[in-house]
Amino acid sequence: MTLSGARLPAVAGVAVAAGLAGALLAPPDRLQGELVRLMYVHVPAAWLAFLAFAITLVASIGWLWRRRPGADRVAAASAEVGVFFTGLAIALGSIWGKPTWGVWWTWDPRLVTTALMFFVYLGYLALRRATVDPVSRARRSAVFGVVAFVQVPIVHLSVLWWRTLHQPPTVLQPGDPSIDHSMLAALLGNLVAFTLVFAVLLRERVRLAAAEDALETAEESAAAISPAMRCPRRGWRAPVSEWAWVVLGYSVAYGALGGYLALLVRRRVRVRWRAGQSR
Amino acid sequence: MRRYRLLLVAGFGVSAVLVGLLFFGNLNRNLVYYLTPDEAVAQRADFDDGRRLQIGGLVEPGSVVRTPDGLRFTLAAGTEPGSATVAAQHTGAPAQLFRSGIGVVLEGSWRGDVFISDTMLVKHDENYGAPDQQAGGAG
Repeated sequence: MTLSGARLPAVAGVAVAAGLAGALLAPPDRLQGELVRLMYVHVPAAWLAFLAFAITLVASIGWLWRRRPGADRVAAASAEVGVFFTGLAIALGSIWGKPTWGVWWTWDPRLVTTALMFFVYLGYLALRRATVDPVSRARRSAVFGVVAFVQVPIVHLSVLWWRTLHQPPTVLQPGDPSIDHSMLAALLGNLVAFTLVFAVLLRERVRLAAAEDALETAEESAAAISPAMRCPRRGWRAPVSEWAWVVLGYSVAYGALGGYLALLVRRRVRVRWRAGQSR
Repeated sequence: MRRYRLLLVAGFGVSAVLVGLLFFGNLNRNLVYYLTPDEAVAQRADFDDGRRLQIGGLVEPGSVVRTPDGLRFTLAAGTEPGSATVAAQHTGAPAQLFRSGIGVVLEGSWRGDVFISDTMLVKHDENYGAPDQQAGGAG
């Protein structure tokens, strides 16, 4: 990795460390105690799922307009990273929901629409794998990427449209955010940190896609694209301390982020190695 | 290519219908996640004893009584006096955040005028604050 290539991960690493410090230094909530700290990873994960699918939308429109293969790669990469963050948001929401609501999962409109969004974009990735010809793959997935985005406002507004167990938005609402300002600072800090991590992951995924395309044209063989997934983990049943939940949530969040990045880097190294072999 | 176009049109049609339903459809109460206490009382006749439903409301302050296998309390539609209430009896340990004044969604069925619940979900709100400020509807 070159110096300029290492700058973004370095900045992201510093931001994550600062965000973690802010999340641990912020006060406990009057009602939820330490459990409120799970918000600092759950909300950024959900926000990045939205941002990722917005990038897929823009890149899909860009492909339909200009037909550049680069736009298709960005759309696909962003959709995969978005599926990853949707899965992460669901897993972290589950870890937050068990000690606060009392259940890992309930058929609440917000949860159901989020799961639907997850499966719709999983369908997007499946469509890409099922189509061999690069041009028709790009066209079909661009149309899919535009239509599927309708899910994002539905998920965001589900808590306002229907009666839900999930609480309505705290920050993205008219007026002063109904949150203690030191907590808001910690939340915004983590939003920035996670967005930088997202940028690292997206760039790595786009580079992997570019390397795969180059390899494919070099050896005329299809390279598989597989989505990386994290499932909600099974936990213990007895009442556990608030900190145990916070530690579990943070381990899942950072473990998943690090694992996904390591996976992408390893796959790109492999593709490059194979490209070197076939030369 | 023609089959693909057909698929595309069908996909657009299905998503348009779904979106239209979401925005303009008068979604019936089967899609309502829980009933409020006043709706539950008004629709009491629709739910025979033993038919499961979910009721969401606020735990009326001062109404919580512990019983050997759970607790009894009053579920109110709102904080203002005179709002509709439902007498609830919950079996099992209350959720970790349970306290008087907090919002809960109860799952269970009617037995006479009492709502017998076996699952309790605590509904926390979107307000966050440090412990010292004691603000909001939950005290």
